[in-house]
Amino acid sequence: MIGANQQQAPSELALRLVFERSPDAILLLDNGVFIDCNQAAVDMLRAAGKDELLSLSPSDLSPAIQPDGASSSTKAQEMISVALERGSHRFEWLAKRRNGSEFPVEVLLTAIPFQERQILYAVCRDISRRKEAERELAKSRVADDAFRAGQGRVLEMIAQGATLSDVLASLVTLIEAQSDGMVCSVLQLSEDGKHIRHGAAPHLPEIYVQAVNGAPIGPKNGSCGTAMYRGEPVIVTDMLTDPLWEDYRELAKLSGLRACWSTPIFTGYGKVLGSFAMYYREPQAPTGSETRLTEVATHIAGIAIEHERAQNELQHTRSELAHVARVTTMGELAASIAHEVNQPLGAIVGNADICLSWLQQEEADLKQVAEALRDIAADGHRASQIISRIRSLVKKHVPEKSLLNLTEIAREVIGLVGHEAQRKQVTVYSQLDESLPAVEADRVQLQQVLLNLVMNGMEAMHETDANERQLTLQTVMSNGSVLATVSDRGMGIDPAKAEQLFKPFHTTKANGMGMGLAISRSIIESFGGKLWAEANAGGGAIFTFSLPARSQEIH
Amino acid sequence: MEKPPVVIVVDDDVSFRNFLSRLVGTIGLKTVPFESAEAFLAAPLPDSPACLVLDVQMPGLSGLDLQRQVARGSRPLPIIFTTGHGDIPMTVEAMKAGAVGFFSKPFRNQDMIDAIKEGIVRDREMRKQLNELAEIQARYDSLTSREREVFALVTEGSLNKQIAHQLGTSERTIKAHRSQVVQKMKADSVADLVRMADRLKIRPQITQKSA
Repeated sequence: MIGANQQQAPSELALRLVFERSPDAILLLDNGVFIDCNQAAVDMLRAAGKDELLSLSPSDLSPAIQPDGASSSTKAQEMISVALERGSHRFEWLAKRRNGSEFPVEVLLTAIPFQERQILYAVCRDISRRKEAERELAKSRVADDAFRAGQGRVLEMIAQGATLSDVLASLVTLIEAQSDGMVCSVLQLSEDGKHIRHGAAPHLPEIYVQAVNGAPIGPKNGSCGTAMYRGEPVIVTDMLTDPLWEDYRELAKLSGLRACWSTPIFTGYGKVLGSFAMYYREPQAPTGSETRLTEVATHIAGIAIEHERAQNELQHTRSELAHVARVTTMGELAASIAHEVNQPLGAIVGNADICLSWLQQEEADLKQVAEALRDIAADGHRASQIISRIRSLVKKHVPEKSLLNLTEIAREVIGLVGHEAQRKQVTVYSQLDESLPAVEADRVQLQQVLLNLVMNGMEAMHETDANERQLTLQTVMSNGSVLATVSDRGMGIDPAKAEQLFKPFHTTKANGMGMGLAISRSIIESFGGKLWAEANAGGGAIFTFSLPARSQEIH
Repeated sequence: MEKPPVVIVVDDDVSFRNFLSRLVGTIGLKTVPFESAEAFLAAPLPDSPACLVLDVQMPGLSGLDLQRQVARGSRPLPIIFTTGHGDIPMTVEAMKAGAVGFFSKPFRNQDMIDAIKEGIVRDREMRKQLNELAEIQARYDSLTSREREVFALVTEGSLNKQIAHQLGTSERTIKAHRSQVVQKMKADSVADLVRMADRLKIRPQITQKSA
């Protein structure tokens, strides 16, 4: 030992004290052998005493392998070489206590020249806590990133038009993943503001979900019903004792739920849209972290529900507008419709009259009467077919997507305008592909678009020579899309102004509303298609819409 | 003996054509149906009293177009219009152009029968007049050119003397021509001759008298 048990100068004594009392573990090595250490080193390594520690070799105080995979002895030699070469070297090391447990240390290894030799002075600091904190931090950063990415995914779903129940289910699942043992649900408030409507609760018992759906809200209606009623969070730490759950106690027991904390979901302007709830199977009160999760959940759920309501509103308005446009078109067709219906009616009334006078004769020729009656019946059917064709277009209906054959719809439209074309002295040509793949759209609305284009085309030829009033309706398959084309020989369009035609209230007709093409485009776009106009090379205009093909072929 | 009258029906609606045939049959008449104005124009006209029942709106040539063509032709048949949906301007145009009737479907059978009967009466009258005119024309065609000159001047009211002077011949010669004209034209009187001239739209020809 250095200067042990010798008379020492006061300054040397002080140094000794500093060495002995240092909170950092200090070990002295001379040629690979411990020659001294302080009490902190003994404590850190859980040695029985200084003597025991000094009797050990450095390899006894490390596991065989370091975390980077290198063997401790090889790596120790490397560290020593660096320290000898540079004078000192700081590095992290995995050490082993006498009881065998391993722990990280930071080592400052300094070479001190002493009597022609190099003494190594090692200051070791236990960095277990620091390491632990770093690990925790990294872990929470990863979790945070994942949570944020999850929120992004849910928002993306909303933007991409996923159904509300899918969006809310994803949101609930995301929130649940942030806390062990927690189950969540989103409920909606009905439009009348009085009842609970199911939103999403992918992990709550089915019996519970069904019981809640349709239940009224009120001042004592569980956590969610009360939270929506009050417009403020309701924390129930034990559902089996809380008075708010008095009427729903059995349901709670049956579902195995104990704690339920519910927070209302608001619109941007403070109207209650629903509630977000966290459930636990044990009585529990929220800690800070749940508050943050709840904020995120209610915010996103609010966006999702508001988005869906706005979409529904828009859809409703669009279909109302489409209906108005259809009725307007039918108004334009009124003269033709009257003609078409009166044609069979005229024959019916006339034939009936003839039958009556025949039957009043002494010896009626019943064979003739029967023949006339057969004609009456046939004309009656014809009239009713005309009416039902028109009725389907004028009737209000909720748009509904189904697989349709565009050629079939084109044929129906040609039937519908047949008489109008006659009246306007327009010859209608059709080039219809009989083996088109299906498109997915609403039948009535698609008919409406085609009808609108055909009517416009006929209208555009108002000033064209009667023998050149030709309208061609074509259906064709092209590049995975089904196309319908309506070409006329009318006044044509300026290609530079083609886009303006689709703006609302743009009209070239004396008494047009100017909504037809705007509505038609919005209809086609709502089915994932496109509608555009171009000039017809031979004079006139061509209007085309395309819709994605959905299957190989339907009949 | 007059051939039985026929009703010509031009309508693109087969069931309506059938009904009209049946209706016309109840008054013992025959119909000749056509499904378009073009088909009607391509067929020969019947040599019997007839009337046309036309649909206003048909593909191709419309009823009103056909009315104009018929009116310009050698046989301006009486026309009755039918329509599924008629507006006032359309009706006015048709009636102004001489239509016998204009019916919106459905109509009363009796009204149509009355109109058809009226149309046939008109056509019979028209045919009679046309026949007479043709007869008078044939008689007129048998006159010599000098007799035609005399015919024109007589019906204008000139005296024999004036005619003789104008034509540069004797009054006696004119008298002989005049009796030839009366005989060939089968006229009862000068007044009768004047009526015939009127129908033939004959005006005195400006004959260059030798100076």
